[in-house]
Amino acid sequence: MAVTQTVDHSALKVNQAGIVVTVLVAFAGSAFYRPLAILIPLLAIVLLAGTFAPQLALFKQLYFKVLKPRGIVKPRPVADRPEPHNFAQGLGGVFLAMSSVLLYLGTPAYGAVVPVLGLAIALLVAVLAFVNLAFGYCLGCQIYFQLGKRGLIQA
Amino acid sequence: MSAQLWAVVAVGAIVLAAACLEAVRSRVARRRSIGASAAPASEPYILYFTGESCTVCRTHQEPALAKLGSVRIDKVDAIEDRTLADQFHVYTLPTTVVMSAEGYALHVNYGYAPATKLERQLADARIAPVSVPATA
Repeated sequence: MAVTQTVDHSALKVNQAGIVVTVLVAFAGSAFYRPLAILIPLLAIVLLAGTFAPQLALFKQLYFKVLKPRGIVKPRPVADRPEPHNFAQGLGGVFLAMSSVLLYLGTPAYGAVVPVLGLAIALLVAVLAFVNLAFGYCLGCQIYFQLGKRGLIQA
Repeated sequence: MSAQLWAVVAVGAIVLAAACLEAVRSRVARRRSIGASAAPASEPYILYFTGESCTVCRTHQEPALAKLGSVRIDKVDAIEDRTLADQFHVYTLPTTVVMSAEGYALHVNYGYAPATKLERQLADARIAPVSVPATA
């Protein structure tokens, strides 16, 4: 099958930058002001909603409605498929949802380990988004490739 | 604050462990692939494993391959041609394999390989005539 679609990679970069900044603000900010941790479940909702309904992808909409029309970020269309990127975004959303569960629903019986795990998962999502942003390596896309290679998804 | 510090330590350990595993995996796959054979040719050439889901292939690897000039590049879809992909232990995309004219794999690059690295490997392949390739 030939690649016939075009993906604006600037939109992906803005999305990744949004994830990194939001998680870092939640991560560092919650050390001083605990309610800031709410940004993590909110981000999970944004990522998961954006995966299934692109019009709900907050950071991409910010790019398409504000940054691109005003020339703040220039478009970079690349012949590409959106599915691996959506898959990666959805995976990030799932991990952030897990992180949120651990952060908010962890029982005190497990002590401090549960919130640490929740924070660690959120930080890992930010690290992977940063790696994608800075070096172009998309772990979610590689997982998509491996699943396709094994015939588990139609890649 | 201590929760954040422990989280940083945990993520650091995960990233370090993943990097070590990746290095080991890459080394093992490379060792297994060296010497694998494909069709002979008149000049050293490159097997380029890619796939539709591979963005780095299009944004980085293909521009690097274009810089090589007239070198023959056999593009292989790793999803569609799984037999050949498995023969060269392709576990990540892009993967580039520098083949000798005799059809032996001399250098295997898992992940993005810059043009300078490929040029160096092609020069090696031109200098050293290979009958039975080394396995290390």
